[in-house]
Amino acid sequence: MEPVKQKKSIPALLLPSAFWLGAWQLGAYWVDRHVDGHGNELLLPYPASVLSALLELLPTPAFWATVGTTLLRVAVGLAAGLLLGTVLAGVTCAWTWWDRLLSPAIRTVRATPVASFILLVLLWTGRNTVPAVISALMVLPVVWENLSRGIRSADPKLLELARAYRFPRWKTLGLIYLPSLRPYFLSALTTSVGLAWKSGVAAEAICWPRPGVGTQIYNTKLYLEIPELFAWTATVVALSLFLEWLLNLALSRWKGGGGHA
Amino acid sequence: MLKLEGLSFSYGERLVLQDFSLTLPLEGIAVLRGPSGCGKTTLLRLLAGLEHPQKGRITGLEGQTCAILFQEDRLLPWRTVEQHLTDVLPRPHREEARTWLELVELAGEETVYPSALSGGMGRRLALARCLALGGDFLLLDEPFAGVDPARAQRILARIRALGTPVLLTSHQAPVLDLADRVISLEGPPLRQL
Repeated sequence: MEPVKQKKSIPALLLPSAFWLGAWQLGAYWVDRHVDGHGNELLLPYPASVLSALLELLPTPAFWATVGTTLLRVAVGLAAGLLLGTVLAGVTCAWTWWDRLLSPAIRTVRATPVASFILLVLLWTGRNTVPAVISALMVLPVVWENLSRGIRSADPKLLELARAYRFPRWKTLGLIYLPSLRPYFLSALTTSVGLAWKSGVAAEAICWPRPGVGTQIYNTKLYLEIPELFAWTATVVALSLFLEWLLNLALSRWKGGGGHA
Repeated sequence: MLKLEGLSFSYGERLVLQDFSLTLPLEGIAVLRGPSGCGKTTLLRLLAGLEHPQKGRITGLEGQTCAILFQEDRLLPWRTVEQHLTDVLPRPHREEARTWLELVELAGEETVYPSALSGGMGRRLALARCLALGGDFLLLDEPFAGVDPARAQRILARIRALGTPVLLTSHQAPVLDLADRVISLEGPPLRQL
């Protein structure tokens, strides 16, 4: 039985945030007092400084263009990774030879450091393409592995029923495989959103496509604008959480459909 | 006429059928009776073509389609009662689905999911789905497990009225009463008494 979701009270929602904000403020104060060069915020800026930097960025059209472009790159990469991972999971589970051929390659992709891929893809394609390709490459193995596990764990007794009851393939797919895959797909999706963001922005920070959140993060490092670095990072975190919330909202009907999966 | 000649079958080291032979007309209701684990289910699986005999042959079923009711309900947790029936019907007619539900006394439960059904109701739903699938003959493995005897007898009488030959396994006296022939078995390896 699915656990009943309890609505959190306002203090329960605010207290953890307040605690971490307080810890940050204390940390910044401690650094300010004890590290050489009083008053500099190079190591850890105050929350107020970060908020001020963010408020300066927010009204500018350039900020929204940068965020929108990165969002588009990450979304394209995420969609491509989901699609490819799903197709490859289907192919490797359906045909042993494809599994023998492709599984080592996908596992290699998963184990390869993201920095190596970023530099390689930068050499092969234009800098504007790299973030989407990297996001897709990072998402693909996660989706492939989750869905492969889901396909292989489909109930053999239900699959035998489908054969005995002369179900065509599309019906077996729709009635048995897809509902069995639902939790595996949702788990892969949730992991993939964060992964696509992190790898996409990391690729931007190395390749400097313009505009790009990662490029802005790189620039803040270059000019030692640490409050801005925090402000851009906060933007990425907020966008990642927003995208995850949006996906959950879109999938809530699917999650709830039947309610017994 | 259904003929099983010299059938042998084993699951690994476990011998279930050894040189087993049986002849019976494909009409009416035939009941296979025997202790648990004697090989009745394996026999039904062989007749359904889900297993293949390692020796011997089955004749009399050529070109015929069967519908098998498995020993377990094998319901889909994400499909409603009605959807279980429309899924196997050539065209998903709700009226036709209702007819089968009425036959097994499950009408009114159309929108319910299997998790909300009792053991006996789940069994009747699995039976209704098998009947809705239909075929030239029916193979029913313990169709009335968990169903009360009076209801089992009513449902079996309705199945008989369909006119499709039925081969089923059961221990229940009311079911045996309605059978045209009862084949008593023991094993393993399976043999006719």
